[in-house]
Amino acid sequence: MRPFNPLFIPEVFFEVLPFLRVTVLMLAGSLFFGSLLGFILARAKVSGRKASRFIADAYIAVMRCTPPIVLLFIVYYGLPELLLSTAGVNINNIDKGIFVLVTYTLLYGATLSEIMRASYESIDKGQWEAAVSIGLSPFQAFYRIMLPQAAAVALPNLCNVIINLMKDGALAFTIGLIDIMGRGSLIISRNFGAYALETYLALALIYWGLTLIFEKSFSILEKSFSRGKKSLAE
Amino acid sequence: MELDIKFMIDTFFLALTGVPVTLSITAAALLISAPVAFFMAISKIYNIKILKQIITAYVSFIRGTPVVLQILIIYSLLPSLFNTIIRSAGWNINVFDINPIIYAYIVFSINTSASLSEIFRSALLTVNKGQLEAALSIGMSPVQAYTRIIIPQALVSAIPNICNLTINLVKGTSLAFMMTVKEVTAIAKIAASYGYNYIEAYLDILIVYIILCSLIQLLFSMLEKHFGSYRKLTGAAQKTV
Amino acid sequence: MLELINIHKSFNNNEVLKGVNIKVKKGDVIVILGPSGSGKTTLLRCINFLERADKGEIIFDDLHVNVRTASAADISKIRKKTAFVFQSFNLFNNKTALENVTEGLIVARKVPKAEATEIAKKALSKVGLSDRENYYPSKLSGGQQQRVAISRAIAVNPDVILFDEPTSALDPELTGEVLSVMKQLAREGVTMVVVTHEMSFAREVANHIVFMADGVVVEEGPPDEIFTNPREERTKQFLSRILPPVDDYVI
Repeated sequence: MRPFNPLFIPEVFFEVLPFLRVTVLMLAGSLFFGSLLGFILARAKVSGRKASRFIADAYIAVMRCTPPIVLLFIVYYGLPELLLSTAGVNINNIDKGIFVLVTYTLLYGATLSEIMRASYESIDKGQWEAAVSIGLSPFQAFYRIMLPQAAAVALPNLCNVIINLMKDGALAFTIGLIDIMGRGSLIISRNFGAYALETYLALALIYWGLTLIFEKSFSILEKSFSRGKKSLAE
Repeated sequence: MELDIKFMIDTFFLALTGVPVTLSITAAALLISAPVAFFMAISKIYNIKILKQIITAYVSFIRGTPVVLQILIIYSLLPSLFNTIIRSAGWNINVFDINPIIYAYIVFSINTSASLSEIFRSALLTVNKGQLEAALSIGMSPVQAYTRIIIPQALVSAIPNICNLTINLVKGTSLAFMMTVKEVTAIAKIAASYGYNYIEAYLDILIVYIILCSLIQLLFSMLEKHFGSYRKLTGAAQKTV
Repeated sequence: MLELINIHKSFNNNEVLKGVNIKVKKGDVIVILGPSGSGKTTLLRCINFLERADKGEIIFDDLHVNVRTASAADISKIRKKTAFVFQSFNLFNNKTALENVTEGLIVARKVPKAEATEIAKKALSKVGLSDRENYYPSKLSGGQQQRVAISRAIAVNPDVILFDEPTSALDPELTGEVLSVMKQLAREGVTMVVVTHEMSFAREVANHIVFMADGVVVEEGPPDEIFTNPREERTKQFLSRILPPVDDYVI
């Protein structure tokens, strides 16, 4: 069997960690734009006209069935073509990160919208009614009363979404993005395929570490949010 | 933007030939991981000290790392590992003749077992404890109580989560092409490389997955209706006038 | 002060209010009685536009609106002159008792925080809950929550307070504390419109009873008239079922 050199793993860490910046940037960017898209979709489903509700439903259903790698390649090959033929814009030289952001925004916009919608709908409408009955405007009622409560409910699901987004984002290297995975595959090709296992293990450990950090952070956040709530233990 | 429609139609039917492979990986992963996941769920619920810690670490690692890395790890580890085992056992098998789908079965079983164990665990916990107590007090053995009363109820409540898991599993198999498994994605990609019709090919793949996904959702909703028929339907909230 | 004229409201082809008229004078304590399905809660909710009536007019002092064409500004004006106490309390779960009471003042009426806090503290002490100011609703009993809800309503100094079955969701032991707060408010001259099944409150405190059934006002008048000499058959039917029989001897 090919020699396994565990000491190679720390070397991989040092070479790959600077590129964590790219991984996290893609994660944050997709989350941000995905939330914007998610809000639009959620709003369409909650209070929109029949037509917009149908479009939102259809979009979410399609995205639910789409493997990330397939969407990644559709965006990577399709977006330049689309922009070239419709707007004459040549984007063949832009950063691969743009394709990554577009892909995961489209994909996770759907997931995020469902989370927003479910958590908003789980808050008793009586809260909103009480707010407007003492004179708050509908917007104030939403922003000050419904939104904070919905956000607290959404937190655990949000944690799962962020972790899943990070894991799905690991595919970005297949279109050439140099994040930690991309750097890792460069290391492997540099060594003509040797040390592949060590490199992959190192990358897995990094992802695992990030997952644990996210889970811990969210559990702290959830505790601080549930100051006023009855816990299951009571 | 022009799409080669003829290519798309041809490739669509070509891609369909990969569906059995996709389904076999999905089915194998579910069938193999189910008993394992059940065992892990029970171990965690019954708090068997060391076992629980190992399982928790295992589940945390599998769920905390991307599937693509698990695939790459298994694919770079197993062939040479098998090779070593085969050589030292003196068998006359060529490791490279092993159908790569075996590796796919292994990776996706490992991956599914982790998520499935969490689904089983929370489903078992939702079943009212009184059900077990009632079963035991009319003389059923624990095994009977579990198989006849607890597990059926737990499974029904778990159906939506299992549906989700299956859909994610099917989507995950789209990565099996990295292990040279000839499933939907691989077949379409190969067809695309002849004439650089990548967009058409990937759109076809997407359509195939949408159809698969819809069928799975249909199947599970039928399962839920059939097995869950004993449940009381919660009526719509009363409107006070 | 407040008048509702010819209010109609349907839900999905089911006409719940079939032309209802109500007049509220300053200082009135109006109790709306009736069987379930009579439309009493819907009528109340139409006043502050939690439900928008299909037809009719609402006159509130110098504000005259047609319910169909009422603008958001009109609705907002009406909501600033009224306050609503809900059957299920509807305290803001993410705010303390004190914050619940100051919310309407600070956010909707732009009252400075210090002044709002003072008003809120007075309102809370009025209902006997000064020691619970910083408690979250989940830590309060039903009766306490409803009393906070009432102080939330009085803090904004509305022209009229609307009560929708304020004690129906409470354990019998807790209804007393809420009813005594409401009686106190009535004594002080607060204008109230109350939908309730608490007959003792209706008899002792109300100065006008409105009996509704099947979406119309069947009969209205002062409590002694309605309770002892109801004119309409429907009213008699309802009262005979709700009130204990007059000659009830225990042997």
